[in-house]
Amino acid sequence: MSITDKTATRPDTGTGTDGADTNTEPAAPAPKRSFWTGRSELVVVALVLAVAIFLTVGTVTMDVAGDTVPGPKFFPTIICVMLYAVAGVLGFQILRNPARGKEAAADESGPDDTDALDPDADGATPDPKTPEPKTYTDWKTVGILVGSIVAFILLLPIAGWILSAAFLFWMVCFVLGSKRRLFDASLAILFSSAIQLAFNALLGLNLPSGFLEGVL
Amino acid sequence: MESLNLLFDGFADALTPINLLWVVVGAVLGTAVGVLPGLGSAMAVALLLPVTFSLDPTAAFIMFAGVYFGGLFGDSTSGILLNTPGNSSAIASSIEGHKLAKDGRAAKALATAAIGAFIGGLLATTVVVFFAPVLAQMATLFGPAEYFALAAFAFLAISAVVSDSMIKGLAALGIGLALSVVGVDGPSGTSRFTLGLPQLFDGISIIVITVGLLALGEVISVASRIHRDPNHSQIRPSGRPWLRPSEFKKALPAWLRGAGFGLPFGVIPAGGSEVPTFLAYGTEKKLAQRNGDTDFGTTGSIKGLAAPEAASNATAGTAMGALLALGLPTSATAAIMLAAFQQYGLQPGPLLFERGADLVWPLLASMFIGLVVLLVLNLQFAALWAKLLLIPRHYLYASITVLAMLGVYAISSSTIDLWLLLGIGLLGFVMRRYAFPVAPVLIAVILGPLAETELRRALSVSEGDLGVLVSSPFTITLYIVLAAGLIFSAVQHLRRRKAEAQQQDRELVDA
Repeated sequence: MSITDKTATRPDTGTGTDGADTNTEPAAPAPKRSFWTGRSELVVVALVLAVAIFLTVGTVTMDVAGDTVPGPKFFPTIICVMLYAVAGVLGFQILRNPARGKEAAADESGPDDTDALDPDADGATPDPKTPEPKTYTDWKTVGILVGSIVAFILLLPIAGWILSAAFLFWMVCFVLGSKRRLFDASLAILFSSAIQLAFNALLGLNLPSGFLEGVL
Repeated sequence: MESLNLLFDGFADALTPINLLWVVVGAVLGTAVGVLPGLGSAMAVALLLPVTFSLDPTAAFIMFAGVYFGGLFGDSTSGILLNTPGNSSAIASSIEGHKLAKDGRAAKALATAAIGAFIGGLLATTVVVFFAPVLAQMATLFGPAEYFALAAFAFLAISAVVSDSMIKGLAALGIGLALSVVGVDGPSGTSRFTLGLPQLFDGISIIVITVGLLALGEVISVASRIHRDPNHSQIRPSGRPWLRPSEFKKALPAWLRGAGFGLPFGVIPAGGSEVPTFLAYGTEKKLAQRNGDTDFGTTGSIKGLAAPEAASNATAGTAMGALLALGLPTSATAAIMLAAFQQYGLQPGPLLFERGADLVWPLLASMFIGLVVLLVLNLQFAALWAKLLLIPRHYLYASITVLAMLGVYAISSSTIDLWLLLGIGLLGFVMRRYAFPVAPVLIAVILGPLAETELRRALSVSEGDLGVLVSSPFTITLYIVLAAGLIFSAVQHLRRRKAEAQQQDRELVDA
């Protein structure tokens, strides 16, 4: 599924989850060893394939204007071929070598490719800091965060910048574990109002004021 | 010596009070963003882009110069104090830097890093002043085939040679290219992949893509880990941030060696400073072994910190030269700077030095000024910057989320852009989750249109004969270098995989 595709349909579905999310769910309850254990990366293959299919459909159904040679279909065709090839190889790799235990979670281990270039830098990656955190993704936190962003986008035209941005700020604080609810709320209002003021007054950019229009 | 005269004119332009103010603002912002873990100068520039629309281009670029180097000065701070490098370019300097901090020499380590960043940046900017015009002159001889070769080189170098896994890099590249073809096709006027939405006729804004991938993707990825990962304890820097003459003498050759590694890598479109920083680190390690230096790896070696730090800033400096002279971004930050130029209707490349001279030279001059400002900011106030790390993470990421929304909404006041931002943010999260590199997406989005236009132009001139792509010595050389790089890295990857497999077998036996 391409990004454009997603956004076009999202307002209709009204949920913050999209293909990428729903596809990953089977991998979330990691304790059981299912087919998906260590193979949740297939989500990426699905994503690449979705982009490729979207491009293929778009290329085939394209209304070509003008008669330039090579035409506008030329480059997308090359990209499609590349994407199908990449999806194939990637899928094959994941099916053959599923990530094991800890490595499945090595999300942000950073590029250690440089070790390959400099054999002497082995053991150089600074990792003694991590005493084995839990591996799987915290879908609850991610879900609430994405939900808040969806709510923000829907709220923005109605409630205006100050309220919806303050809501977003507060929600992110809450979801990331802040305990000071009231203080966060005042901080959020302060932050969003400061932005509204700075932008409207100094830069002349109009942020929607929503139903507070008359009041402000 | 013409360059020198032009540079002095540039200094005259850049040294006005208001422009100086922008340099300082940029340097402060850049350092702040750099200090915070997980955020780099690429994101800072991306978030600032929409905000600077109301500035004139010179002021905006002068500020970006400050942000650009500021991010590099700052990103080693969190690496040294917390052992969480702010950027991948700071991984190598964190290794010895954090050991120094644990040994009670945090202030000294911060000073070594700041001076190293200064020396690397200074040498690189000097090189750019003298060689960028020459490079630009050379580039005027380039035709469509040469430009396509350069773009193809950048694509493959960043995705295949430098990435952790070749196929992951290529997947990221493909997604980026797919994003880049959305919109109305220039030469033919055909609307492509827009789903009939007029908002997409201009394509997906590069700001949406960078802010989504770098800022929102980072926030979502932090959210997915924040209740899982342990917290790091911070080391408070104490003592004076000065180096004794003997220490300075010890560090100086390391700074210079580091800068030597960094300078050439900036011009190669090979994805930033990870490779030169690790090469610099490896060299210092080897030299330490030979000289019987026991600091290295135990109490922390000043040299082991000085070299990678100088290397990373030297890479950043010459990357700017490649961007200005060839229009070719060689790192993620440079890619966003290119988007910034395009936003102002300027196309970096050979013509920029002729048509945009009144912008280029003040920009180069303000890079020098920015470096001096940053050296002062970071030497004097290193301890103050470290206080930034005490800001609770939830406030930090809440502000980033809101600012990301603001920055994207400011482009064209449309909620479609916000939906796109969310979608790309999720893409950024999935890519982080599975360790896919993000830089190829950015390079593909930015250079994709150029690659397509030049390829089609070359082929329409040659009437479809593919031979035109390899018809000049320059293109042939480029493709040969590329092929050699691909083969070399493929061999390295295979060798490493074999070693890993052997190790696993051993572990299995042990278990």
